[in-house]
Amino acid sequence: MRKIIDFLIKNIHSLTFAFLLLLSITQIIDKNYYHSSKFNFFSNSLVNIINEEKQNLVEYFELKEINENLINENNFLRNNYSKTNKIDSLISTDNYLFSSAKVISNSIKFSKNFITINKGASDNIEIDNGVISNNGVIGIINNTSEKFSTIISILNTDLIINAKVKRTNHFGSLSWDANDPGILNLYDIPKSADIKKNDTIQTGGMSSIFPENIPIGIIQSFNLPTGSNYFNITIKLFEDIGSIKNVYVVKNNFKDEIKKLESNNE
Amino acid sequence: MSNINLLVFLRFLFIIISQILIFNNILIFGVSPNIYLIFLIIFPLNYNKSFMYLYMFIAGLILDLFSNTYGIITFSLLISSLLKIYFLKFSFGHFDASKVRKTADYIRETSLYQKITFLILMFFTHQLILYSVEAFSFEKFSWVVKKTVLSTIISIILSYIFILIFFNKNAR
Repeated sequence: MRKIIDFLIKNIHSLTFAFLLLLSITQIIDKNYYHSSKFNFFSNSLVNIINEEKQNLVEYFELKEINENLINENNFLRNNYSKTNKIDSLISTDNYLFSSAKVISNSIKFSKNFITINKGASDNIEIDNGVISNNGVIGIINNTSEKFSTIISILNTDLIINAKVKRTNHFGSLSWDANDPGILNLYDIPKSADIKKNDTIQTGGMSSIFPENIPIGIIQSFNLPTGSNYFNITIKLFEDIGSIKNVYVVKNNFKDEIKKLESNNE
Repeated sequence: MSNINLLVFLRFLFIIISQILIFNNILIFGVSPNIYLIFLIIFPLNYNKSFMYLYMFIAGLILDLFSNTYGIITFSLLISSLLKIYFLKFSFGHFDASKVRKTADYIRETSLYQKITFLILMFFTHQLILYSVEAFSFEKFSWVVKKTVLSTIISIILSYIFILIFFNKNAR
C-alpha cells in the first residue's frame, strides 16, 4: 500500500498529464455527429449564453447591413408572391416547416466547421433538420440542447449534399475540399450532361432534409478527367458562409414516414 | 507565492478573453492567430507542473467550447506543454531551466535568434498537432502543412508584439 502511495506521489505530474490527455482524447473521439456526447460540454448553455450576448453587442453595428438583406429578401418574396400567388416562395411544398434563427457562433477556418444558432429543442428543432438562408444552403442540425443547436456547416468536409444543375436536371453530390470557403465541388454529373459555365446549382429533391430547388451557387469551372465518365465541377456559392446572421431551419413533416417506408424496403 | 498565483490567474483571464473576443474574429489568409499559446510560453517555470497541466487543460477546454472544436485545442495544448521544456533546452542551451525563474530573463538575456527559434518550435508543433488532429486524414496533408505554416507565421508576428507590449517588464 505504501509503495503504491509513494509511486503516486513520485509520479503525480506524469499521472495528471496522462489523465488530462486521456480526457481530451475522449472529447475528440466523442464528437460523433448524430448523437449527443457523453460529457455534453458542447451544447453547454453557459457558453452559448455568453456567445449570444456577444452577438447581440456586435449586431448593433451591423444593423444597416441586416436591414439591406431584409429589404432584398422582401423584394424577392414579393415578386414571387405576385407570380405564383403563394404565401412564401421558399415554402414550395406544404410538407416543409420553416422557422427563423440567429447565428451566434460560426467558424470557417478549420476543415470541419460548425455553426451555433439560438433555437433549440424547445423550439421544435430536431437533429437532421436542414438549415438554409435566403441565399442558399447552410448545413444540417447535428446536436440540440434546450435553447441552442449546432449545425454541421456546408463548409465541413464530412457533409455531402445532393444537388442538381437547374438547366439540365442532372443530379450530383456536393462537398467541400477545405481550401476556399467560397468554393465547393460537385461530383457525379455524367459526361453526357450539357453543362455550361454560370449554370445555377440547386438542391435536388432526393433527400428528405432539404426541399427541392433551393439555390446553392453557380458553376465556376468544370473539367472532365481523362478516362472518367463524370465531370469535376467547381461551384461558387451565392452565400458568404463567414458572414451569415439569419438562417431558416427547415423541418420535413413527413420525414419519419419516408424513413419508415425506406427502412421497410431494406 | 499568492502573488504568483494571482499573476498566473490574471494572465489566464486576460489571454483567454482577448483570444476569444478579438483574435478568434480575425481571419488573415483563412487562418486566425492563435495568441493563447503565449499563456504557455510565459508560464512560470518553477510553478507546480500538475497545476500547469490543469491550467492548460482548462484553457484549452474553454477555447474549444467557444470555437466548436471538440477537444482538439485541449489535446494540442497539453502536448505542447509537455514539449515546452525540451524546446527551452534546445533553443536556450546554456540556461538551466530549473534555476531560471523569470520569463523576463529569457526575453532580456537572450539573442533574437534564440527567441525566434523557440517561438517557431512552439508554434509550429502546436499548429501541426492542431491541424493534423482536426483534419485526421493523410489525404489532406498539403492542407495541413499550408495551414500550419501560414498560422505559424501570423501567430508568431502577432504574439511577439503581444509579449513585448504586455509581458516585457514584469514577466516572471
